[in-house]
Formats: sequence, C-alpha cells, structure tokens
Amino acid sequence: MIAVIGAGPAGLAAAMTVAQNNEQVVVIDSAPRPGGQYWRHLRKVEGYKSGRSDKYFRALEESKKIIYIRGAQIWSAVQSENAITLNYLAAGIESSITVAKVILATGAHDRALPFTGWERPGVMTPGAAQALLKGHNVIAGQKILITGTGPFLLPVAVGLAAAGAQVAGIIEAHSPLRWLRSPVALLLNPQKSIELIYYIRKIYQYKLKVSFNRAVIAYDGRAASIATVDTELRIKETVSKIDCDVIAAGWGFTPDVTLGGILGCQQVVDRDGTVIFAVDRDQRSSATNIWIAGEATGIGGADLALVEGRIAALSALGLAIPARLRLARYRLQKFATALQVSYPVGNGWQGWIALESKICRCEEVSLGEICASVSELSANDARTSKLFTRAGMGMCQGRICSRNVSEIIAKQTQCEVTEQERIGYSNRPISAPISLGALANGIK
Amino acid sequence: MKNPDAIVIGAGILGACSALSLTNAGFKVLIIDRGTVASGTTGAGEGNILVSDKDPGPELTLALRSRDLWFELQEDVGDSFELEAKGGVVVARSDDSQLLALARSQSAHGVVTEKLDSKRLHELEPYLHPELSSGVFYPQDAQCQPMLAAARIIQSVIARGGQLVTRSKVLGFKTENDAMSSVLTSTGEYSAPIVINAAGTWAGEIASLAGSHLPVAPRRGFILVTEPAPQYIFHKVYDSEYVVNVASSDADLQTSTVVEGTRSGTILIGASRERVGFDSTMNYEIVRKLAAQATSLFPILRDVQLLRVYRGFRPYAPDHLPLIGEDYRVKGLWHSAGHEGAGIGLAPGSAALITDTILGRPSFMDPAAFSPKRFAEVLQ
Amino acid sequence: MSESTGADLSFTFNGDCYEGAPGQSIAAALMASGVRELRTTRFHKEPRLIFCGIGVCFDCVVVVNGVANQRACLVEINQGDEIVSSK
Repeated sequence: MIAVIGAGPAGLAAAMTVAQNNEQVVVIDSAPRPGGQYWRHLRKVEGYKSGRSDKYFRALEESKKIIYIRGAQIWSAVQSENAITLNYLAAGIESSITVAKVILATGAHDRALPFTGWERPGVMTPGAAQALLKGHNVIAGQKILITGTGPFLLPVAVGLAAAGAQVAGIIEAHSPLRWLRSPVALLLNPQKSIELIYYIRKIYQYKLKVSFNRAVIAYDGRAASIATVDTELRIKETVSKIDCDVIAAGWGFTPDVTLGGILGCQQVVDRDGTVIFAVDRDQRSSATNIWIAGEATGIGGADLALVEGRIAALSALGLAIPARLRLARYRLQKFATALQVSYPVGNGWQGWIALESKICRCEEVSLGEICASVSELSANDARTSKLFTRAGMGMCQGRICSRNVSEIIAKQTQCEVTEQERIGYSNRPISAPISLGALANGIK
Repeated sequence: MKNPDAIVIGAGILGACSALSLTNAGFKVLIIDRGTVASGTTGAGEGNILVSDKDPGPELTLALRSRDLWFELQEDVGDSFELEAKGGVVVARSDDSQLLALARSQSAHGVVTEKLDSKRLHELEPYLHPELSSGVFYPQDAQCQPMLAAARIIQSVIARGGQLVTRSKVLGFKTENDAMSSVLTSTGEYSAPIVINAAGTWAGEIASLAGSHLPVAPRRGFILVTEPAPQYIFHKVYDSEYVVNVASSDADLQTSTVVEGTRSGTILIGASRERVGFDSTMNYEIVRKLAAQATSLFPILRDVQLLRVYRGFRPYAPDHLPLIGEDYRVKGLWHSAGHEGAGIGLAPGSAALITDTILGRPSFMDPAAFSPKRFAEVLQ
Repeated sequence: MSESTGADLSFTFNGDCYEGAPGQSIAAALMASGVRELRTTRFHKEPRLIFCGIGVCFDCVVVVNGVANQRACLVEINQGDEIVSSK
C-alpha cells in the first residue's frame, strides 16, 4: 500500500492518481477537513478557480481505493528494510500504520518576519486570516491590513473583501515591475496572467488600496507604521500610519520538512535560503520508496503541487510519466523561480525591530538577548545562541523563528548562514508533541 | 595572542574551568575550539553536579570537592549560570537494601544523606507514585545551566587577559624532545609549553595527533524534553537503578530514570546509555522506555507532552574514571577528559588538580587514580 | 462578525459562556465573539491571540477540559467544553 501524507493539492492529486490506477492508498492528514492550507473550505469563498478542489474532495469521500485518516498528526516515522512505519496521534490516541511506499505532501506555512509590535494580538499571518475565513467562517477583525510580499496577498485580500471585511489596504514590499525580469516564465504561463487579471479586476471591484515598495515596520496596537523600503527591505523613510486591528503579514512560505527529515530524505537549500528536499525527475527522494511532492520540494503554488503529486504517484506505481506532465512541471517551475526573483526577502527587516521586541515568540527571547549571546557569550551560530537564550526551544520548536535567529546571528558575526546550519535547524526528531502517557502505552 | 603560557583545547566546561583555574594562577591562557563555546557534550547535558551517584573512592572525593568549588566559582564569576543546590531524591523501586547500604557508605565519606520514609518522601515530592515508599535524600546534589556556565567562565577568562579562538581545528602538534612546543590549527600555529586537552569525546583524536594515546570512547545518551508544565518535580529524582547503570560497562542499552524540572518549566527525562560509537540515529523505543519509566515514578506526567529529544555523546574511559593529568609520553600535554556523564560536576575539581600539579603544589587529593599513565602499559 | 452558520454549541472560556458553530475552532468561535486574548505568556504575561492560525506556531495554546497546551486554532469546539487561557 501507498501512504500519502497531507491532503492539500499535492497530496490529493497523488491520492486520486493512485486510486484511478486501481491501487489502494491511505491519506493521512492533520486537519479535520481536506484541502490543506490552500483549499480549506467550510464554505465557498470568492477566488480564482475556487471550485477546482471539488473533484478531489469527492474522490476522497467516494473512492473505495482511498482510506482517509483525518485529524491525525504523525509524530515519528521509522523506515525498515522494505516498509515504512508511521506513528500518528488522532484525538490523543496513538496508532501506527506500516506501508510499502510513502508520498510526502506536507505543504508549507507562511514565513513570518518580526517587526516592532508583532507580538501584539491582531498581528497574524495571511494564512491565519485566510484559515479563519475559509475554514471557520470568521473575519479576523474590524479593519484588516494585508502586508508582506508575493501574489498570495491578493487572494487573501479579495477573499476578505468579498466576505464583507473592511480591508485597510495591501502593502506590498516590492514593485510589480520586477516581473519584467522574468519574461520567459510569463510567456510559458499565460494562465497565470489570466489569474492576475482576475485579481486586478476584483481589487477594483472592492476598491482595495494597493501600495508598492512599502512595508509595515511597527504596530502599536491601534495603528501600523508604514515605511518605504528598498529591494533588500531596508527602511528608506517612514511615511504614514494606518489604523487597523488586524495586520496579516506574510513573506513567502516555509515548507514543512520535519517528517522527511526524520525519514532521512536529503535536504538542500534553495536559492532563496529555504530548506527543501532534493528530488529526482520522478519526484523521488534520496530515501528508498519515498516520493515528495508540492511545496516541500520548492515553493511553487497549487498548480505545480497538483502536477508534482500526479508525477509522484505515477512513479510510485511504476507507471510511465506522460511528457505533458513533465512539460507542465517545467513551465510551472519556471514560474516558481520568477516568483523568487520578483518577491525576494532581503535582510533589511532586521532594521525594523526594537531591541526589546521578541524574536522567539514561544520563549519570549528578545533581539537584545540574541545580540548579547553573540557579544557577551561568544555565540557564533544559531545553535549556540539557542542554548544560551532558549530562542527556538519552545512549543513550536523553532518553526517560526529559527531562520530569523540564524540571519540575525549571521549579521551580528558578519558571516553568511551556512547550508549546514539551515538544514540543521530544520531537523526535529519529534514531528509533533505526544503525551508521555501515549508514548508509554506504545511500548512493544 | 602572542606567546600564551598555556593553550586549552576545547571550550566546553572542562576547558573553561581549566582556563579559569590557570588564569587565576597567573597564566596567560588561549582557548581554542573547533566549533564554539559549549558546542560538544557540554551543550547536550543536563548540568548535573552530583555526589549521590558516586561510590566511595577517588571519584567521590573529586565530586565532593568539585561541588564546593562550583559554589566558589559562582562567587568568582558572578551568579549567572543558574547554579542551584536543588538536592537529589533517589527512590527505591522495591527492595531498598542496596540503596540504603550505598547511602551508609557514602555518608561515612562526607556525603550528606537522609533516609526517607514514605511520609517524608512524599513531602519532598508530592507527585511521586503513592506506592513508592522509600528513598534517600542527597541535599548536596546541585545543578547548573552548563552552556551558560561555560560561556560565563570563558567570559571571565577573557576579562582577565585570556583569549578565545573559535572555529579553530587542531591539525597537529610540534614537540621538542618529547615536550610540547606548539599547536598547529586551522587558524594558525600557537606556541606554548603547556597544552590542556579538554576536547571531550574527541580527546582521543587530539592525543593521537600528538603521537600519544588516550582511550576515550563515546557513550550515547538520549534526553527527553517536555512542554512547559506546572511545577510537579521539586528535586532531581532518580530511580535507584541509575546508580547501578552509571557504573556499568555493558555495551547494551540501559535506561534508568532521572527526572527533573527546569527554570523554564520544561521537564528533562534521562538517561539512556549505549555504546554505539557516534551513531546519532533516533531510537523511538528508547524514547518510549524513558517515558514509561518517568510516568511510573510520576503518574501526573502521563498528560505532559514530549516536545523534543536530544542526543549527546559522553566521553568515557574503559575503567569509567576520568583521565586527568599529564600525558605519559608528551611532556607539557595535560588531559582533562573522559568524565562520561559527570563532566559538569567534576570540572572545577579536575581543573584544580591539573593547576596544582603543574605548579607543583599540594592538592586536595592524590591525582594518581586519574592519571592517564594508568593506560600506558596497556597501550604500548 | 461571524455570519450565521447556526451557532448552536455552547462552551465556556475562563468561566464565561460563549457560542459557536459545529466545525469551528476554539479560536474562531472566540474571535467571532470579539475575544482578543486567548492566553498570556509565561514570562512577561503579555496577551496573545492567534498567529499562524494553522497549528504551526503554538501561540494560541489553551487548556481544554484540563488538557494543557492545546492549539485553539486547530481544536474544534464541542458542546460543554471548558476552556481556560494558558498562563
């Protein structure tokens, strides 16, 4: 049997492909409902091609070949000679399943950058605002400011506006003119231009105010301070204040590489510093019988994830992969590269933060404490600073702050973050918390 | 630094303590490390400063003196590494005769012990399993935050004229007439007549580079770290089997429980010991076993979640005694290594022994039992 | 702020009664009722709401029926739940 981990676009495409080829597949997903971050619907939300997920959800419900385990968090995994055992928790009870092959489609979460006041209630990621709306039917606040960089800000803003939220503006850190650097990617992906035009029309329809080359650099609980920034995100000048009770700030995405890391799949550092998995042309990882699809092999969006999911499934089934799928992946990967070129996240954000601002939200470690670990205690990498300050040691195990801490240490020590450090901070032997009682009950 | 009087290899706790001890004796000290401060075993330890797990003998003498030296160190560099005399509670699972006999012999050698009946045991640790009814309290057992301790001590060394060079890997040594003359490293050559090898699990490699031998091997240990929880555990709490396992030379896995709370609210659960070389593969069966043992001591921990597991490699010598003293072949090369799980606790005493011997002054004990020369014949 | 989805589950948060719809997370149901603080931090006692909203950051942890550190953004409300802020 094949197990697919994750029920977002990549996982659903993989599962449906396996089922269509009459093989048994088990889908394990941590959320109570399918769709991952991109397709989480409690109800229909306005957005480009938002009905696309329907056939996948139907397959999950109806196909006799698909076993769907929802609300299950895999906390560990072990590969033996010709089987992979996945240990998961559902409603506090531990179970495990042993399969021959695994397709990892574990997705990504928003990358967050700290700014002065980002610990305050109301500051969240665009993914959080989106999840509240699409998954739970709740508008995050009275007046919502959307900020950060990248095209994902558009569907979030449009979705909120369409649901009746007051959107205080979209503050995009880069200029749309940066797309001119990637003409080939645009020509190869005409459907992306159509999608963009769709959102531009919606922005006009809802009278959303968009500004470019700006960022939210501080929040005092009532208003956001807006500054013009250069391409490295360094502050040029503080220009205005915007009243809001929610700031949804997102700076690209961080893939979830924990489970693949436990299974020994080789990780590499993408050109923008993101840790991803190395896969071959059939989405095969370095580990035997493990394929990886979607954001964990490089941030590329739902369209690319769907294609990669299908390729991974066909390869896992030992079937031929049609040339048109490979071509589609090529086109979309070009687009993914163009996204990195158009929306880079430079290190200028380090100038947005007051010394007393927390960098590690869990353990409440401030920028000042991290800097002191370098200047006073001779820390020269994130691991050592973490041992001194506890930054990255809290409940989230550094998922939110590790990369930022590394970048801060690198700047303080005038070094570059090494690839070894980037991959190191992504490794966690326990991929989700598990109670000691459940662990004890599971003794063989 | 031009012409230091001594070079310390290793910026872990043993190197830090040696450097401070020599600095306080008037030496100009250079510390080098292939990584950075506390990047080896010191960074993967619990910060144990224990007397309870030592049988009467030279190691207990060293442990008792070291424990006092820790509190003097605190005065010397300032209280900034969470040093705390929290005390240890050793719990007998069933038959308590072995434990009580050990406690009696320890108290004859200066260890403060208090036999605990059921009532007193549960006063000290109210969340212990109600059926546990006998134990021994060791008020001298203490704890520090070892990474902070190493960093703060090295800070003091630097403030007193010493120097730290990180990311400096030892490539070789120069000797003249079998006496130390300089250390060749990835960051350059440093000359000094005295070199202290405090390289932890890598101390054996350092000795080899100097043309000598030091029988240090790694023993793997896992430590479980939970989510922050309310204070359920008030001391270091051990299973009495811990004492037996620490001394074992069995290669197979041994687990016996050590449970304690930390200032940040997380609970640490140790300790497994295996001789598997530098294999850092995760073993979830060990994790389960440690969880089961901890929850059998403290049932309330059943609802507390495990957040992470870390692996450390503890350096040990075949006879489980540390290697402290001058190399049997190279004059001027001194070793302070192989303390296994007790390196934090034994560090200040080990440093004092070396400084005293270098200066030719009497020390608090005869260091002969720890001399690396005890393996000279076997190895030659 | 919530559109009517038939809020027919009741639960308590720090002793006060709230309502929510089936399938809603604890965080969503409370935010729909205007709650702006799910917990206070351990060391500096600062208020926190949700942050990542998808179970990654653990910033929204609450005590659900006595079980600590549950992610309010993930855990769905059940009739009669007793929820308390983590402190």
